[in-house]
Amino acid sequence: MALGGYANRVAHVDLTAGTVEYRGIPEDWARKYVGARGLGVRYMLENGPQVDPLSPDNLLCFMNGPLTGTEANMSGRMAIVTKSPLTGTVTDSHHGGWSAARLRWAGFDGLLVKGKASGPVYLYVHDGIVEIMDASEVWGKGVHDTVKFFRERYGEKDLSVIAIGPAGENLVKFACWVNENDRASGRGGTGCVGGSKLLKAVVIKSAKKMPKAANLDAWKPAQKRALATIMDERNITSPRKGGLSVYGTNVLMNITSAMGALPTKNSTITSFGPSAEKISGEYVKEHILVDDPTCHACPVACKKEVEIKEGPWKGLRMESVEYEPAWSLGANCGNDDINTVAKLIDMCNDYGMDAIELGHPLSIYMEATERGYTNGAGGLAWGDTMAMVEMARKIAMREGIGNVMADGAEATARYFGHPELAMTVKGQGVPAYDPRGLKGMGIAYATSNRGACHLRAYTPAAELGVMPFGSLKVDPLAWKGKGELVKIFQDVHAFSDSLDLCKFSAFAESAEEYAAQYAAMVGVECTAEDVLKIGERIYNLERYYNNLAGFREGSDYLPARFTQEPSTMPGSEGHVCELDEMLAEYYAARGWVNGVVPESKLRELGIID
Amino acid sequence: MQVNFYATLRPIVGGRTVEFDVGEHVTVRQLVGVIVERFPRLRKELLNEDGNLYPHVHVFINGRDAPYLPNGVETVIKPGDTVDIFPAVAGG
Ligand code: SF4
Repeated sequence: MALGGYANRVAHVDLTAGTVEYRGIPEDWARKYVGARGLGVRYMLENGPQVDPLSPDNLLCFMNGPLTGTEANMSGRMAIVTKSPLTGTVTDSHHGGWSAARLRWAGFDGLLVKGKASGPVYLYVHDGIVEIMDASEVWGKGVHDTVKFFRERYGEKDLSVIAIGPAGENLVKFACWVNENDRASGRGGTGCVGGSKLLKAVVIKSAKKMPKAANLDAWKPAQKRALATIMDERNITSPRKGGLSVYGTNVLMNITSAMGALPTKNSTITSFGPSAEKISGEYVKEHILVDDPTCHACPVACKKEVEIKEGPWKGLRMESVEYEPAWSLGANCGNDDINTVAKLIDMCNDYGMDAIELGHPLSIYMEATERGYTNGAGGLAWGDTMAMVEMARKIAMREGIGNVMADGAEATARYFGHPELAMTVKGQGVPAYDPRGLKGMGIAYATSNRGACHLRAYTPAAELGVMPFGSLKVDPLAWKGKGELVKIFQDVHAFSDSLDLCKFSAFAESAEEYAAQYAAMVGVECTAEDVLKIGERIYNLERYYNNLAGFREGSDYLPARFTQEPSTMPGSEGHVCELDEMLAEYYAARGWVNGVVPESKLRELGIID
Repeated sequence: MQVNFYATLRPIVGGRTVEFDVGEHVTVRQLVGVIVERFPRLRKELLNEDGNLYPHVHVFINGRDAPYLPNGVETVIKPGDTVDIFPAVAGG
């Protein structure tokens, strides 16, 4: 391959046959889809969009991008790409720490896993090779004990372990992969696909070997300029000064609650009132914070490690209390006990479950209980902390009603005979922004290619005015212009997810910084316009996959609660989300016909010939 | 009048909620003036060189960012209104 930067080595693992082949990346694909998310989806398309997510034929991709593990800031990200058992769409979910960097240093751009092993296995990745090894000794163990086991076997130094826990083994539909730093590729049930293949872990042993840029002269200034934006005191990334660095992502809890944009008690209301403070980043810092861990090449250090000081989980030290799970297992469930939030997140890390998704079956059960829909199936009260902990275990182990809830929000709501209680889009639960108070999130959730998601188009950056250097601010309650805004965000994020850089780089870096670093690393010309074009191609590729998988006209929607039940809380009182208006604007900007990519668009973007 | 502060503003004002002695009919702009006079370190956090609120700073009156209220920062704060002031915050 003529492009620099890449390892140009992808392992094709067939677990049924027990074989591993090593191939380069088709250059045309690398140029068109960059790496990580984009390239992973291209491999998924090649594998066939009609595949049953839990059949051996589904492909499970562990993908790096051309900037992964380099000197680029915030470049310790890996994308796990597959067809989701939760949504039926293509999905990609990223995690940080050092496992992605180590995969690159071990000599790989990606691992593509197909088939199903005859017994539990793990992949041992080192020195440019992948070995399929027996994992029966760790099958049944939680992620934490699995990591411990491999540390004893291979030594802690230079070791990364990405594992599934019992939830993945038990095919919980929202099971995930978690690494040795408790960083999870949380969304979309990628861990469930691992469990279906009897793949317990990917174990990577590699010392640091920073990839060299193809154009070294251009690389140094590009990397320096990007770093300067992250360090700048005007941006929230500014180390030990900016809100993201000091308080972590959970600095959001108070503001979204105050503005009526925090989905509370299964989105029945849009604010947690004074209780938001008790689960906020400010509260965590004052009461239980013990450390601020980071990821490969990141000066921001937004992770928040805590130690519980009192109560039934006294002494538990865990990472990391993030905004999303603190909302899902806190406000969403009417729970204002931060210690229980931390305990539940730690359980999710150990069982290998998406902590965002877990809150949905729990809060549905709670609302069903309150409304008298449970038909003698017991009950779960809002904020019943001990019961939540027990229910989390039952879901991971598929015990009792946990067996229903393990199939996700929609299955849980159907079980109670009230599908309208599921706050989902394409089967995936909404994250921590109520689209009645932050309207851009409404169109972002509806049109996300992986089901409800805040990270496909992080419009709060513009709606809260935290774009790099305050470059843009728009009214959170206005819908006009949000369709076009979401398209731009989706395209830029699709590119950065393919590099693969942490999403939070977008609070400091712009498309110019992405373009300059990419161009220097791989040795091509790239401008900010090219970034948007490539991002657009990747977004359309995903949509094309989903269209072929059966998501046709009318697949972009929101739960009726957001479009029909006005907010009753200050900040957004009286507002619903004007989805139809935004959808019309969005489809016009995309050139799609009611959610379907026309052939002419696919040709224009070079996706088909 | 009680004003709630958040995130990196709290260490500057020394707590979550601070009471300010302002007369009736005070506007958002006037209140911010009183606040930065009492806590001079807040000036560079809240106001640009022209003395206007930074776009990333939020002064909420009952949950609505003041610039989006019909009278913007000239809005008169009523007794019982909730006032929250946030620096730039985001995450994901
Ligand atoms: S900003 Fe946070 S999540 Fe992103 S790379 Fe840095 S420490 Fe990791």
